Amino acid sequence: MNKLKSQFVTREVGNELVLVPLSNNVSNMKELFTMNETGRFIWENLTEKMTVDKLAEKLMQEFEVDEETAIKDIKLFLEKVSQMKNEYS
Amino acid sequence: MNLKIADFTIKLFSEKPFQMEEGYLPFVDGDEACAPDVSVECVSGIPDNLLDGCKSLFEARSEDQWFYSVYEYHAGLAFRIFNQQTKNSVQQIAVLNEALDDWKIYTVSGPENDFLPLKYPMGPILLYYLTVNHEAIMIHASGVFDGEKGRLFTGFSGFGKTTISNLWKESGAKLINDDRLIIRKRGNKFFMFNTPMYYPALPEEAPLDTIHLIRHAPENTTKKISGALAVSKVLAFCIQNNFDKRFIENHLDFVNELCSVTSVYETGFLPDAGIVQYVKDHE
Repeated sequence: MNKLKSQFVTREVGNELVLVPLSNNVSNMKELFTMNETGRFIWENLTEKMTVDKLAEKLMQEFEVDEETAIKDIKLFLEKVSQMKNEYS
Repeated sequence: MNLKIADFTIKLFSEKPFQMEEGYLPFVDGDEACAPDVSVECVSGIPDNLLDGCKSLFEARSEDQWFYSVYEYHAGLAFRIFNQQTKNSVQQIAVLNEALDDWKIYTVSGPENDFLPLKYPMGPILLYYLTVNHEAIMIHASGVFDGEKGRLFTGFSGFGKTTISNLWKESGAKLINDDRLIIRKRGNKFFMFNTPMYYPALPEEAPLDTIHLIRHAPENTTKKISGALAVSKVLAFCIQNNFDKRFIENHLDFVNELCSVTSVYETGFLPDAGIVQYVKDHE
């Protein structure tokens, strides 16, 4: 997870984050990735030893969501970020 | 010879006489004493094996054409620039120091009147690397100034940048450029500048007050956007070589500040004169 995080540069804009992927080619960027509060929480907790299950626990504590929703949200988030990284590399 | 482009001073020198494409001639600056922001040594002929063993960092190419490649070169960068007429043959190799302020451009030997150190796409590449080293960005956009406000129109190719800037021009506004602009900060204000094109045009600049992300639409519409959405959408149209985190950080900081002091709109428009008044009424 941490490796994925190192492939982006982020900036805080208001309460949100803007993500820009490192890229080795000229990409036709339609729009860059922005993150709301939940996305930002997931992003900030992506560490080397973090697992989806541990992250789901943290998300449940922070946002009062059930386990099924938390895991679904995290997987969707990781899928989107990975997809974005693949598009630009 | 000094060029003054977007308030940057570019000093070019060579042992051999060299030529400039005609778009650069209006930007020649007579003030030779001005301290340059970047120095460019122009050399005729490319040494053999200059880039042997250098690590590739970035490639700019379309499906059937190379524009340029960037390599790690000692502590700085090196560029292999491809000829856009003959397709895929090398026209130049350029070397840039670590501080990004000292270039050496080797141009392939040819007829005397063909020694063009800033031959496209070398010129825009040099300008882009000036922006990453200063508080500035280069953006695919058209810009106009109506005497009161400077407006920038950006969007995908074919979405109407030239059309909308021509409509403003016909209404009496000054056209800064309809394709590519450099934006810089001067004091607390942002300004937009034209850059040399393939045709001669005088240097122009104007304050930048509003940014419109445009598209053709069945009726005129405009909606103000802000925050992360505005930053991400404006940044998407900036020219970027995002292989280096420092460059991205520089762009993000600049666009973040730009969007905090200028108004950003998503604007759909019909291609007729009505859009000029519509924008004035709805900003």
